[in-house]
This record gives sequence, structure tokens and C-alpha cells, in this order.
Amino acid sequence: MPSLRRTLPRLAVAIVVATGASVGVGYAASLGLGSNQLHAWSQTLTKGTCNQTSATADDTYVQQASPTSTAGGTDTNLTIGGAAGSQNYAFIRFDLSGCALPTTAGADSAALTLTVTTKSNDTISIFPVYSSWNSSTLNWNGLGGLTIGGTATTTFVPSNPGTVTVPVTADVDAAIKASTLWGWELRDTSGTATSAVGSAENNAAGKRPSMTLSYEK
Amino acid sequence: MKRLTRILGIALTAALVSVGVASAASLGLTSGKLGAGSANVSGCTSSSLTATRNVDNSGNVTQVNVLSVPQACAGQILDVTLENSSHTSLGAANVVVGTCTGGCTVSVTGFGTVSATNLTAYAFSLTQ
Repeated sequence: MPSLRRTLPRLAVAIVVATGASVGVGYAASLGLGSNQLHAWSQTLTKGTCNQTSATADDTYVQQASPTSTAGGTDTNLTIGGAAGSQNYAFIRFDLSGCALPTTAGADSAALTLTVTTKSNDTISIFPVYSSWNSSTLNWNGLGGLTIGGTATTTFVPSNPGTVTVPVTADVDAAIKASTLWGWELRDTSGTATSAVGSAENNAAGKRPSMTLSYEK
Repeated sequence: MKRLTRILGIALTAALVSVGVASAASLGLTSGKLGAGSANVSGCTSSSLTATRNVDNSGNVTQVNVLSVPQACAGQILDVTLENSSHTSLGAANVVVGTCTGGCTVSVTGFGTVSATNLTAYAFSLTQ
């Protein structure tokens, strides 16, 4: 009996230690900390808007029938379409440098607003332009020197006079990351009618091109 | 004999209490502490890396690009969660970091339809 009295207290201590140890092992395993391979972090984004008006716009149209003309750069309307051999292509871009966006930023949404001044039922396709141009020098003969996307970003039908708004989010997002926005070419892709939209030189401010831009950085 | 019974009773009570405390600690850590900050245990990187994202023309996120991931992280699993302003998950995806020279840009896709407008934060983790 005396021997039992000495042994039982030691047994009790052993129970406590053993139980605690086994719980500790299970706890570490459940966290996965024993693997020594965890790194977690987060990044918060800043949201903003940087809407564009004609003040930051540059636009023109080039004329197949007058391949060296740069008159489209000062016209109050941008003419699009026309019969074979006398096609007109319009170009519009905005200078986003005032937005001071880093190349790690991006567009949450961007929409181009135009005002139809001459209607037609043809489809106007909007293609992204990836190389530089300006309205004072671009003409039909200069088209070969431009890099223009092969897939239209979006389309619209200028069937009624008035404003039309089209999404251009993907193009503007890509342009922010490239630190440039060389805008879009507008081309009639369905017929031979002629339509027109107001240019940045239009006498009515409300008919000039504009673009809304919401961004994150 | 009464003394022995008392000792054994105290020992068993202590053991049960220790189990209870350990279980509570385990639950607390699992439920909120791991993703809350920069719990770096890995040797692959200690940096809070940054990311950009691409969108389609509807403004939905198509891809997240995590920038300058160290070469040492090759083979680890990079988890990316897109969060709204309440830090609620809008979508999540992961990819195994590949091998590259220098810092890698790791692209992650497959978040479902997530509007970039609602995206206000990324949560990242690297595990193996």
C-alpha cells in the first residue's frame, strides 16, 4: 500500500503532462504552422474618376478620295463611311496624362459619348489604335503607318441624331497600363452610307466627344 | 485511500481543463488571425507584393497579375481573393507559381464574373 501511495501521485502528474502534450501536437497540426510555408498579405485599391472632355480630345477623319488631306482635323464634324473608293475613317483620342495614373492602375469603367449629327442605318465599328497620331498630320496615306486592332471593341448604329454612348473599358484599361491612349478608329463596316458625329471643334459644346472614366490604382 | 482518491480527482480535473483551454485557442487562431496581416513564416518572400488586374469591355475582371514574385516562390500555391469594401469575397482563384528569371509576374484567372467597380482589395497568400 505505501508503494501504491507513492506511485499514484506520479501517475497523476504523468496524466496531466501526457494529455497536455497530445493536445499541443493536434493544435499545431490544425494550424499548419509546422509546415513553415505561409505568407499572407493584402492590397487596398484607391478609386477615382477622371472624365474627359473636348479639352483633352484630338480628332480627325481621313478621306480616301483626298488621300493627302488633313482638313478633317479642323472640321466641326467627323464624317464616316461613303461609297467604295471614297470612304472616310474617323479618329478620336483623349490625353489622359492629367489623370496622373500609374501603369499599375486600371479602368473600372470607361464610356465614350458621341453625338450623331448625320444619321445612317449602317453599323459603325470602333477599333483601338495602338500607335501615335495627331489630327494636324494624319491623312489617308498615313493609315499604313498606324497599328490598329483587328477586332472591333464595340459597334453602334447612328440611326438617330443625338448622343450615343459606347463602352470602351477594355481599351482604356490596356491604355493606362501602356501609359498611352491613342484612341479609336471609327469605320463603317456594313454599307456605303455616310454618317457623322460632332468633333472637338464643333460649335456646340454638347456635341463634342467626351469620355467618362472610373479607375482604380 | 481518501487522499489518493482526492489526488487522482485533482489530476483528472486539471487534465480536462488543459484540454478545454487548448481547444479554445485552436479555434480562435483558425477563425481569424491567419489572413489578417502579414504572417510571414516562409522563406520565399517577406514582401507585400502588389497586383494589377485586367478587365473585359464590360468592366469584369478577367485576370489578376501579381508583380515581382520572387523566384524562390516557384512551386508554391498563390491564392488570390477579390474583396469588396466590406472585405467580403467576390471571387477567389489560385495558381502554382512557375519558374522564371528574376521576379515573376504571376497571372491568375478563373474568378467568375466580378465587376472591377466592386473590387476594392486583394487578399493574397502563398502556401506549399
